[in-house]
Amino acid sequence: MTTATSRPVRPRRPPRGVGGFGGNGGRDAWLLVLPALIPVVLFSVYPLVQGILLGFTDAQAGLNQPVDFNGVDNYTRLLDHDLFWKSFRIGLIWAFSVTILQFLASLGLALLLNLNLRLRWLARTLALVPWAMPPVIIAIMWKLMLNPSYGPINELMRTLGLPGDINWLGDFSTALPAVIVVGIWAGMPQTTITLLAGLQNVRGELHEAAAIDGAGTWQRFWHVTLPALRPVIVAITSLDLIWNFNSFALVYVLTAGGPGGQTMLPMLFAYNEAFRYGNFGYAAALGNVMVVVIAAFLVLYLRGQARSRDS
Amino acid sequence: MTPTVAPVRRTRPFARPLQYLALAAYMVFLGFPLVFLLSTSMKTAQELRSPDNSFLPDRLSWDNFGDAIEKANLVQAAGNSLYVATLTTVIVTLVSLPAAYAMARFRTRLRGAATIWILLSQVFPFILIIVPLFLVLKQIGLVDDPHGLVIAYTVWSLPFALWMLRGYVAAVPVDLEEAGAIDGASRLRVLRSIVLPLLAPGLVATSLFTFISSWNEFFFALVLIQDPDLQTLPLTLARFVGAEGQVQMGQLAAASLLATIPSLAFFLLIQRRLTSGLMSGAVKG
Amino acid sequence: MKRKALLGIGAVAVVALVGGCAFNSEQADSGGAADGPVTLTFQSLAYQDSTVAATKEIVDTWNAEHPDITIELTQGSWDGVHDQLVTQFQGGTAPDIIHNESSDIMGFAEQGYLADLGQYLSEDTTNAVSDEVWDTVTTRDGEVVAAPTLIQTYVVFANTDAFAAAGVEVPSGDQLSWDDLQATAKQLTRDGKFGVGWGLRQPTAAVMNTALGFGGTYFDIGEGDEADTIHVGDAELAVPERIHAMAHEDRSLDPVSLTQSGSDVLPGFLSGKYAMYVGGNYLAQQITESAPEGFNWTVLPPLAGTEGPVQAANPQTMSVSARSEAPEQAAEFIDYFMSPENQAKLAQGDWLIPASSPARDELAEQTKDTPVWQPMLASAENLSGAPFQQASKYPQWKDQYATPALQQYFADSIGLGDLRTKLTDGWNSIE
Repeated sequence: MTTATSRPVRPRRPPRGVGGFGGNGGRDAWLLVLPALIPVVLFSVYPLVQGILLGFTDAQAGLNQPVDFNGVDNYTRLLDHDLFWKSFRIGLIWAFSVTILQFLASLGLALLLNLNLRLRWLARTLALVPWAMPPVIIAIMWKLMLNPSYGPINELMRTLGLPGDINWLGDFSTALPAVIVVGIWAGMPQTTITLLAGLQNVRGELHEAAAIDGAGTWQRFWHVTLPALRPVIVAITSLDLIWNFNSFALVYVLTAGGPGGQTMLPMLFAYNEAFRYGNFGYAAALGNVMVVVIAAFLVLYLRGQARSRDS
Repeated sequence: MTPTVAPVRRTRPFARPLQYLALAAYMVFLGFPLVFLLSTSMKTAQELRSPDNSFLPDRLSWDNFGDAIEKANLVQAAGNSLYVATLTTVIVTLVSLPAAYAMARFRTRLRGAATIWILLSQVFPFILIIVPLFLVLKQIGLVDDPHGLVIAYTVWSLPFALWMLRGYVAAVPVDLEEAGAIDGASRLRVLRSIVLPLLAPGLVATSLFTFISSWNEFFFALVLIQDPDLQTLPLTLARFVGAEGQVQMGQLAAASLLATIPSLAFFLLIQRRLTSGLMSGAVKG
Repeated sequence: MKRKALLGIGAVAVVALVGGCAFNSEQADSGGAADGPVTLTFQSLAYQDSTVAATKEIVDTWNAEHPDITIELTQGSWDGVHDQLVTQFQGGTAPDIIHNESSDIMGFAEQGYLADLGQYLSEDTTNAVSDEVWDTVTTRDGEVVAAPTLIQTYVVFANTDAFAAAGVEVPSGDQLSWDDLQATAKQLTRDGKFGVGWGLRQPTAAVMNTALGFGGTYFDIGEGDEADTIHVGDAELAVPERIHAMAHEDRSLDPVSLTQSGSDVLPGFLSGKYAMYVGGNYLAQQITESAPEGFNWTVLPPLAGTEGPVQAANPQTMSVSARSEAPEQAAEFIDYFMSPENQAKLAQGDWLIPASSPARDELAEQTKDTPVWQPMLASAENLSGAPFQQASKYPQWKDQYATPALQQYFADSIGLGDLRTKLTDGWNSIE
């Protein structure tokens, strides 16, 4: 690939605090960054800090409603809020299933795309399409696919002689699995392409050396390809996990959390608390808990990966 | 594009067919929904409702596209989306280019802070940001206003744009700039005549990606835009599916296809650059 | 450097606190009539082509006759209107004139977002609507926060050809008891076809409305600061029990249809899969629009429980935002909107029933050649107010507890006892 990664000359790192050609690098840097910094601080850092603080208030919808700090009241209330924990559990099931299954499916596809197969270009293009589609449209498309009476999936089931009247998105037992499949479909491109790029950086010599040593395909994959891919795998699965845990639009349009809250991801739950029931402070508290939990998972995961790499 | 293909050797005789079978399975999984959408958009309402509805349309009918445009108010929504996405792209590009340059070329504390911010911005759920952002925008009168949405999209796309652009800047050899400086060219001229042309492809990729993300975005629009006349395409379509249910499957499919075309076209245009941009951003950290 | 960073965060936090206190600093306008010409925004939720056109015509005529009060019409959507209003009220961007339904607006009224229209509405408007229906838009403090416009009732549509083919007589008379519905459905179920299809994906409203036919009221509204309480007895559960029996004992009601929306089930009715189709009367418009040629249908007599064919009135409403600068002019437009001609026109487009009785008379006159209108209008004779409309936490209870519990019960995954517990405990757990 004629990409930046494969350029033969690595750019020389300039000395610290000095620009391309001397001068007061520090001040110049600030000037250059300022136009980006101002909007970020004003509309991103400031709201974020305020959002975290809002999680410690009783802010509620209402005309001239006073807002007071209420310490950890939101969090004690949250402790025995069954619906929230149910939603949280669903969120974790969703995020982990989608991330893991997506990773396995994408790894398989990336390995295939890395082989010299015919029609590879078509598969590669198809693999990219979901990335470009708005999540709302992906949801609409799958909603039509899964329609109990007229969707092609049930039609296929009927042709195969299976029960063809399942309301995939409306039935308590099938809604979450169906939504997870759509999540995998929607997120495969990023993962596949990243893994493919990683695969293309695995050096051929390593494989050859292993092959000379008599290693079979499976052994070469396990002992050469996977270790070389490791940094890429860790990076993309971490990102996928965050993105999936925080995803909203796809499920909002597919099921809006139903039936009976079976697909109520935490983001949807918090959205409803804020913009349906007007409990802004409580919703922000839910957001705070989500950040802490997802950060904890990431720290554990990344630390575990770093440790096993060192050993 | 000369992919470094892993050497295939000592493949067992049945491995190839199996590989093709697997590839075909992936292609069906990924491609079938799109083919289905296309076929549905060209069927008449009667055909869709008939019990022996075959997979391919009996005859191609374009009525759904016309009806969808009219009924779902697609033209106005597309106009809103186009305005918001274009303005966002211009601002993000103008603002992130110098910042990316600074991050790639100067080793100050800023760089570490920026990297941390870029990573953090991925972790925080939007719900934490949206309520206060809503209140900030309310105070400056930009709730229910496309420009409020532009602000939200700008700060939301900036981290990613910076991440990509920084990789592209880092890939431009410093030696080139230094050579220009030795020749006595002013710094600005060096940047304009040497660095910028080299960056152009990366810049195009970054801006198109920003455009696509804004064009596709749903959550901020859902909260910040309430006036039906100001709704962006994803909002309009989400409302359309809610209101019409699945009675009008054909129109729904047609509307979905129309709304996907711009981002799809842009995406296929930049996909190769995008991949390399993501990777170089990651590798050149 | 580190200390500086901390200081920076501290400064931001202080600013944030100040901002936090300003969360709701804006004052409501004192109201009254504004001087000079005004422009008022009106968000309509009409969505069927015929009603959208009728609404536009009404606004255009008004604007032509009232140069000083210009109405600016925007088109909203029933889907998500609640979230939209929460956000708009909070952001101060709500339209002046708000179209919604009574069970959804009482919470907003309690939060102080809606103007009291009692003082502004004309006597004609007040007299046109029965006290029962006015009750559904009156807060416990006696403020009238909306004018009731069109009412939806649940009716049974019947495919008369399917009845003929099965040799079953089409029910007639003043009312159709639930027992008769069940028996008829059983007779019509054969050859893979079901007697009834009912799109009950959102079951709560339908259950609340029809439970009144058995005297199921669900709530006791507290006086003053007292909390509203729930009671779920046999009367409240009569309707769910019957639906469940039809779906899972008789198999005469397609259980899959219970998980779908009304419009999703409609194609099944039109293709002959279901001989009867229960739903809001507005679905008649969709039937006329998309029925295949030669499809013969009618509306059966109103469904009746032990208390007769009573249903809860959950009228659509026209309210005025408390922040509107010209509530008096807004009410003037609502008076005009409520005129019998206008209401009849809107009702006909939507196949809904006007809350105003002069408008109902007008409609009966206009539709006397369309026989299906008669049972529909008849179903309005026994409309009554129901406590659930006054219970301000009803929307949250409906989403988080009632809908999931009813869905589970209809899917046969919990029993009647569990349903009762979930409905009761859910209400009591909302703060």
